[in-house]
Amino acid sequence: MTSSKLLPSAYSSTAISAAGLSANRQRLNIAASNLANAESVGYRRRDIFLTAKEIPSVEGSFSAALDRKTLMAPNVAAVIEDSGPQRLQYQPNHPMANAAGYVEMPNVNVVETMTDMMSASRLYEANAEAFKISQDMSSEGRKILSA
Amino acid sequence: MRILDSLFDRTVSGLTKAMDLSWRKNEALVSNVANAETPQYRAVNLDFGSELDRAFGDRTRDELVQTDTQHLDLSNQGNSKLVPDYRGATKSDGNNVDIDLQMSTLAQNSGDYANAAQLIRRQIGLVRSAIRDGR
Repeated sequence: MTSSKLLPSAYSSTAISAAGLSANRQRLNIAASNLANAESVGYRRRDIFLTAKEIPSVEGSFSAALDRKTLMAPNVAAVIEDSGPQRLQYQPNHPMANAAGYVEMPNVNVVETMTDMMSASRLYEANAEAFKISQDMSSEGRKILSA
Repeated sequence: MRILDSLFDRTVSGLTKAMDLSWRKNEALVSNVANAETPQYRAVNLDFGSELDRAFGDRTRDELVQTDTQHLDLSNQGNSKLVPDYRGATKSDGNNVDIDLQMSTLAQNSGDYANAAQLIRRQIGLVRSAIRDGR
């Protein structure tokens, strides 16, 4: 019973959920931006890359550090603009058309972007729910004090 | 813990351990949910049953004994055993989180936690009742 704690801190669970909320909000923002600019001449599609990052130990002891070692929080590693050739569309009357009469359109796949948005918004909700469950659990633990 | 252990029997310390493990399991599940779209992320879980056996003092297993308080508490290391969760199918990006499965396990686990907390409250209620001479 050496390290058992009756009322654990809600920190790490909620911190991980917060990271999940943030990552999915950024996915949603990027997808929305790509979708809104699907027909904007000169816009380049942006891609978001997530990685799992070890969460820093929140407690001092060595065994606590061991515990946390394998818990991962999502992290936005990079947001990169599509550098490939743009989609060329023949619009000779367009003010931004090149000498040959083509304008550069972004490589946005509308259907793919829509499904990405749906996935991000669903996962955002899932993380919000997980956050709430952690909070409910710690309030359940606190109730022991008022038994 | 020593005062609690003398006032209550092993039930309360076992329940406390169960809450502790539930909490750790919650951390693992929450991390799975947060990483549902992270490439290469592998779902984790807590080996709950065997950990609880250990908590309730199954001394038939080999266990490391701490002979000096200055030593690392290795017997406690077992509490933090995260195991891979193979229940979900691996997607093309190497991620194997099944979000619905994780969410339902999360809800179930928080129920277990609440139940253990409720039982501890009952135990405390019993002691209080005794102190008050049954009133």
